[in-house]
Amino acid sequence: MNVGALTKKVLQAALFYEIWDAMKVTFQHMFHRPITFQYPREQRTIPDAHRGALGLLRYDDGHERCVGCDLCEAACPSRCIKVISAEDPSRPLQRYATEFYIDITKCVFCGYCVEACPVNALAMTKMYEFSTHDKRTLLFDKKRLYDIGERHLDDAKKYLYAHNQEKNVEESREYRYYFPQSVLKSTQSPPKHLS
Amino acid sequence: MGLKPATNPDVEAATIELTIDGKTVTAKDGVSLYDVISMTGKIIPAMCYHYTFDPFGSCGMCLVMQEGKKAPVRSCTAKATAGMIIRTEGDDLFLARKKAVEKHLSVHPLDCPVCDADGHCELQDMAFEHGVTNLANAKQKFIPEDTRSPVLDFNMNRCIACAECINVCKDVLMIDALQFMKKGGFNQVVPKGDVALDCEFCGDCLAVCPVGAITNKFSKYLYKPWQMKKTTTTCNYCGDGCQLYLETKDEEVIRVTSPLSWKNKWGDRSETAKGHGGLCVRGRFGFEYLDGKTRLRNPLVREHNQLVEKPWIETMQTLVDRFTAITHRHGADAIAGLITARCTNEELYLFQKLMRTVFGTNHLDSSARYGHMNFVHASKHAVGLGRTHNDWEDLTKAKAVLVIGSNLTETNPLTAMRIKEAIRVYKAQVVTLDSAVTNMAKLASHPLLINPGTEGAVIDGLVKTAIDQDLVDEESVKKHPRAFDALKAAVGTLSLEQISAHTGLSSETFKEIVALFAESPRSIILCAEGIVRRTNGYQNVLKLIDLAWITGKLDRPGCGVSTVTEEPNEQGAVDMGVAPEFLPGQARFDDAAARDRFAKAWDAPLPQAGTGSHLVDILNRCRSGQIKALYILGENPLGTLPASLEVRTALEHVELLVVQDPFLTQTGRQAHFVLPACTYAEKDGTFTNLEGRVLRVRQAMDPLGDSLPDWHIMTALANAMGAHWEYQSVNDIQAEILKLVPGYYNLGQPRKIVPTPDHYLSDGYAAEVGARYRASEGHDQTRPFSLQMGQVLMHSGKMSTEAPGLIKIAPNTGKLHMNIRDMEQLGVQEGVKVCLASERGSLQLGVQPDQSVAPGTCFFPEHFNEPPVKDLMTVSIDPVTGVPAFKQCWVSIERA
Ligand code: SF4
Ligand code: SF4
Ligand code: SF4
Ligand code: SF4
Ligand code: SF4
Ligand code: FES
Repeated sequence: MNVGALTKKVLQAALFYEIWDAMKVTFQHMFHRPITFQYPREQRTIPDAHRGALGLLRYDDGHERCVGCDLCEAACPSRCIKVISAEDPSRPLQRYATEFYIDITKCVFCGYCVEACPVNALAMTKMYEFSTHDKRTLLFDKKRLYDIGERHLDDAKKYLYAHNQEKNVEESREYRYYFPQSVLKSTQSPPKHLS
Repeated sequence: MGLKPATNPDVEAATIELTIDGKTVTAKDGVSLYDVISMTGKIIPAMCYHYTFDPFGSCGMCLVMQEGKKAPVRSCTAKATAGMIIRTEGDDLFLARKKAVEKHLSVHPLDCPVCDADGHCELQDMAFEHGVTNLANAKQKFIPEDTRSPVLDFNMNRCIACAECINVCKDVLMIDALQFMKKGGFNQVVPKGDVALDCEFCGDCLAVCPVGAITNKFSKYLYKPWQMKKTTTTCNYCGDGCQLYLETKDEEVIRVTSPLSWKNKWGDRSETAKGHGGLCVRGRFGFEYLDGKTRLRNPLVREHNQLVEKPWIETMQTLVDRFTAITHRHGADAIAGLITARCTNEELYLFQKLMRTVFGTNHLDSSARYGHMNFVHASKHAVGLGRTHNDWEDLTKAKAVLVIGSNLTETNPLTAMRIKEAIRVYKAQVVTLDSAVTNMAKLASHPLLINPGTEGAVIDGLVKTAIDQDLVDEESVKKHPRAFDALKAAVGTLSLEQISAHTGLSSETFKEIVALFAESPRSIILCAEGIVRRTNGYQNVLKLIDLAWITGKLDRPGCGVSTVTEEPNEQGAVDMGVAPEFLPGQARFDDAAARDRFAKAWDAPLPQAGTGSHLVDILNRCRSGQIKALYILGENPLGTLPASLEVRTALEHVELLVVQDPFLTQTGRQAHFVLPACTYAEKDGTFTNLEGRVLRVRQAMDPLGDSLPDWHIMTALANAMGAHWEYQSVNDIQAEILKLVPGYYNLGQPRKIVPTPDHYLSDGYAAEVGARYRASEGHDQTRPFSLQMGQVLMHSGKMSTEAPGLIKIAPNTGKLHMNIRDMEQLGVQEGVKVCLASERGSLQLGVQPDQSVAPGTCFFPEHFNEPPVKDLMTVSIDPVTGVPAFKQCWVSIERA
């Protein structure tokens, strides 16, 4: 080791150079705008495609969209959906879900059920705050799901648009499932290619 | 096999050669090209074809290219001929098939998400397979759903007009309840005449419909096919032992489906000789009792004259104490047991083992005693076989069938199907001899109505005619000349004129039927409830065996004397030794060698030889106080037997009445202990059907509530009584049966039988035959009507009355069924009350006309005790077999 190098080392030790050097990043950040934000006092903007809590939707005329077809149940990879259906006594030929459960503790938020639904009755919302002391309340039943759907209707619709499921009804209908006569009357007019 | 079925099973069709996709294949001449192709292992799409009936050719999916033809041909309707060169694959065919699918879809509602067929739909599969995504010019039919029938909904929007439903109903079932009708511009399937469907409700149309056009009302919109657990098991209603799929979701039974389905359309028509895989209304729609509200879920114990729910452990403790006390005080002879033949073989076996080795009593019986025992004893006595001689294949391929005293389409609908197939495919001649206008009579070549209660005399007439007209088989009678002489002498005393007058059949008719029977190569006699459940049942079966013997139809292949059983396991009950006279394997109870073998195997002494009593004796002994404890499994003597047998008094006399049943029956209400048992859906085991096939029963769901399988309860009871039974599961019991009755399970095939009448005919026959043929006396003319109680199609025993669906289809009208002419003569209209009086009493009830009731007779279904018509019946007990006959008696009917 030569003299110059030795002197430099002693000097650095006397001035605590290494500590200053190490703290450089810290000091730099003292003058940065903070990137963290104060949840829950501050809320983040969530993108439309966000996969949050599931909700069930109604048509504008108030009818339940869900026809109890069990396809979401079949699509669900974690098997957390259970649908029990029956014929609607007031509307012959109409099928509806008498009971509908989603065990949200098991849900992996894959969105497959939404994709499977032929009538876009299911949608994901931006709601993600459902922590609780009682795990049992995390078994969402039909009423709860419709409540979520109602409360977050706008978000749910945005979700469907974002996933290209309802953006342009006419166009998307052409390759998506078109629901026939039995549900037709209470819902939409038939798409162009079928009318 | 489609198109031209072999009308004679003995003659093989000629063989031809043709080329399919470059390979040379051989086939039978005259069959459908589709079958030939599918036999090579190639599956080409077909939506209107099913091998059980002739091709219809409407769907246009089974297209193939035939060399020399420009356009594709429909392979289902094309006959395979020698030298054809066929191509089954290729883009042109794919596109042609795709076009056909598009054509169907263009008038289809495509409401798959709500459709019950979703996921089990041929049209859906085909659309997927052929990549149909775009439908130009699609339109809707907008046909309202036909929901008029109690079990099936017809949604003709989804119909693809394949006619499978119509064809199966017309061709296979010969019921013909459906038709096409042009309505609203579309060809629709409607019930005949476009009224509410009123048929046998077998639901086979539902099974073969490849789309969701016919829907099951019971499970409509409940679940999708993939959501249900499917268990293959055996029907629990009748002795046909149909295989069925019980579809359950958790603890609920959703629906029953059959092996017959559009999904298995490939097969050889000749295979259907063993059954076409369909079900009857009971099997398909009578499942609701399995998880019904009326099921018992907890043990009940009588306290202060009331049945109260108790936990198992407490119930069993008191029960065992009571049993032990009775054995100590009164000995083993004071205990008796009855079991229903709706239990599995394993349970029946355990039951007799429990009675014999744990309780040490031989007072035990099963519901086979209500009739089947007559056949078993007669047949065992004569030919050494305690069961029916023919299986379904024999019946199908018979040339002549003599159906005597059997309303087969009602009691055993799927056995009836075999005879229908015999008529339809093999052109069999069928003679029906009955005092009712049965459905079988409507299809028979010789439908003969006889006077009520003269079945025995008819057989006399047949035997006498055979001998007088020399229609006997020389070879058979020459072997036993002494027996034949004795028989000749016995019938010599009868006069055919008298028999004719008595039975209502002319001597020419007798001649015709006997000639028909004797001269055809394969002839079968089928006798059922009208013989075995009536007076002289035992002797009448022996007489039928005589008839078969002298005409040479007893020990030839494809011939014989057969019967059917009402409950699913009556044959099993006999085979498992649930009768005082039998040990398992139908060994005689007094046979020293067999006794030794079983005593050793069970490591316990058997009750003394010569002891033991059957059903009626057990009830008598209860009444006289000799029997103190009665253990009843699933039986309901109070609801079944007429009042004159004083069952109620008998039950009141016993100190301990234990009833083990899935339901609280009439008998159960009298009991001190009621143990909740499982139904067949909740346990494993086997049933032996009427052919002698051993069929698996598989557990489809967990026991309801606290109920337990019968074998489980019996094992617990035995162990609590000090036995050391180590059965962990039904398999353990099966292993034991396998050892003691070798070959019993026989892989589900009917065990082959060889009737051996030689011993019977050469030894003692001459002595006994004399007493068999006696001129029959007329009946008391003050009671001109014959009252008959019997089974109706929609019901089976009392069990079906717990199934709401069946009750909805066939409710208890509480009315007496009469012939319309008799009603006119009496001056009564439907619903008007009459007074019905027999030796045993009288009651008032309404009447209703019934086409199947012959003049001079009246009918009431045996399933209902409201009003208690059964209590009017007189009872006669067979001196040999102890079978109580109480299904027919003479009554007077007057306007009330
Ligand atoms: S897929 Fe849609 S319509 Fe079908 S059951 Fe689920 S939510 Fe209802
Ligand atoms: S019949 Fe088949 S294709 Fe038609 S709606 Fe039902 S499942 Fe869909
Ligand atoms: S239920 Fe049976 S009898 Fe009735 S229409 Fe259908 S196939 Fe024919
Ligand atoms: S109802 Fe079903 S089986 Fe009958 S013709 Fe229509 S599609 Fe075929
Ligand atoms: S024929 Fe007998 S075994 Fe077959 S489904 Fe009907 S009741 Fe059940
Ligand atoms: S299967 Fe041949 S036309 Fe339908």
